[in-house]
Amino acid sequence: MNVSDLNHSELRSLLKSTGLTLQTGPFITHIQSSISSVSENIALLYADHALAEDNGFADFHVQLAPPGNLRHWFRPQVLFSFDNRIPFKPLPLDQAFPMLEWGMNWCVSGHSHQYLILHAAVLEMQGRAVILPAPPGSGKSTLCAALANRGWRLLSDELTLISKAGGALVPLCRPVSLKNQSIQVIRNFEPTAVLSRAVRDTVKGTVAHMKPPATSVAQSQLTAMPAWIVFPKYQAGAETQLAMQPKSRAFMQMIENAFNYSLLGAQGFHMMTDLIDRCDCYDFTYSNLDEAIAVFADLTPPAI
Amino acid sequence: MWQVAKNASLHFHSWNDEFVVYNSASGDTHLLGMLAAQSVIRLQDAPSNISDLLDTISQLLQIQPDDELKEMIEKTLIDLSCLGIVENITH
Repeated sequence: MNVSDLNHSELRSLLKSTGLTLQTGPFITHIQSSISSVSENIALLYADHALAEDNGFADFHVQLAPPGNLRHWFRPQVLFSFDNRIPFKPLPLDQAFPMLEWGMNWCVSGHSHQYLILHAAVLEMQGRAVILPAPPGSGKSTLCAALANRGWRLLSDELTLISKAGGALVPLCRPVSLKNQSIQVIRNFEPTAVLSRAVRDTVKGTVAHMKPPATSVAQSQLTAMPAWIVFPKYQAGAETQLAMQPKSRAFMQMIENAFNYSLLGAQGFHMMTDLIDRCDCYDFTYSNLDEAIAVFADLTPPAI
Repeated sequence: MWQVAKNASLHFHSWNDEFVVYNSASGDTHLLGMLAAQSVIRLQDAPSNISDLLDTISQLLQIQPDDELKEMIEKTLIDLSCLGIVENITH
């Protein structure tokens, strides 16, 4: 049963009462909230996601609710809670859905050390995956959204999960987070893409989320093997340029973009060296998405 | 005389002329050039003085064992000792 099998009233009622158990990749998240923007955005962006079996188990139990103080009379807010703990300060109520997305990322990156976890997008074509790590301002999500709309299977926009057994990339297919100008860029690039209403004045500026392609969600059980690591850099007016990067430098950049590399110790080191061994590594500068898509279509598998 | 730091537990990986090394003792990862990496690898085999390292590394890299190389090795060892990878046991 998928989220889209529930009508809005049923979804809202479930979220408000016993909660919704959402299957995202290998994780089950139990969500409770009476906030209307949360149910509306789950209906819109998670329509193709499966509901987990209602056997009481969930990896993460999260809630989004207004704080219990008088502030809600003049400036409504929302609190994210995880297993009845409150890890973050409240945000304006309007930011409830982005807060859910950030909170779900936090749940995974902080608690799922059965994987090596990178702050990176990952997409796959013909069994080979490209990892797009995300230094700040890299234009990673814009490129990710564009590729997902041009035939690449979306495994994840934010968190790359690397299995300890064999180094496979495990899908965590969820909405793509677009910020500021990239929202309009993707609207122009793919008018049929489904985007949530833009939320202004978040810590990341204006934020909107793009619904992941249904085919990518449907293939969330299929892992992929990494073939390329591409460090994207959006630069207004720049020529499209793909330049091979030395593997040792790529390694050092990758550990900067890993959430739990240090925590995994020597195992993390060996997992990362295995990953780099498997991949060709590139720096990629772009300003034109059509040209970027063409470059990715021409990527050749690494010679191993 | 120099040796790998007693507390260090090193894991190496190399691609062409560049090496990464992870020290389990500190939890730090370092990017090393050929000279630094080969110095540590030689010291993993056995403690060594600068003269012996100069001979070994000059042969390995096929360069002249001159004063300039000797200075580079000395400086490299001091840098590596600051990172807790090697230590001076002359005293």
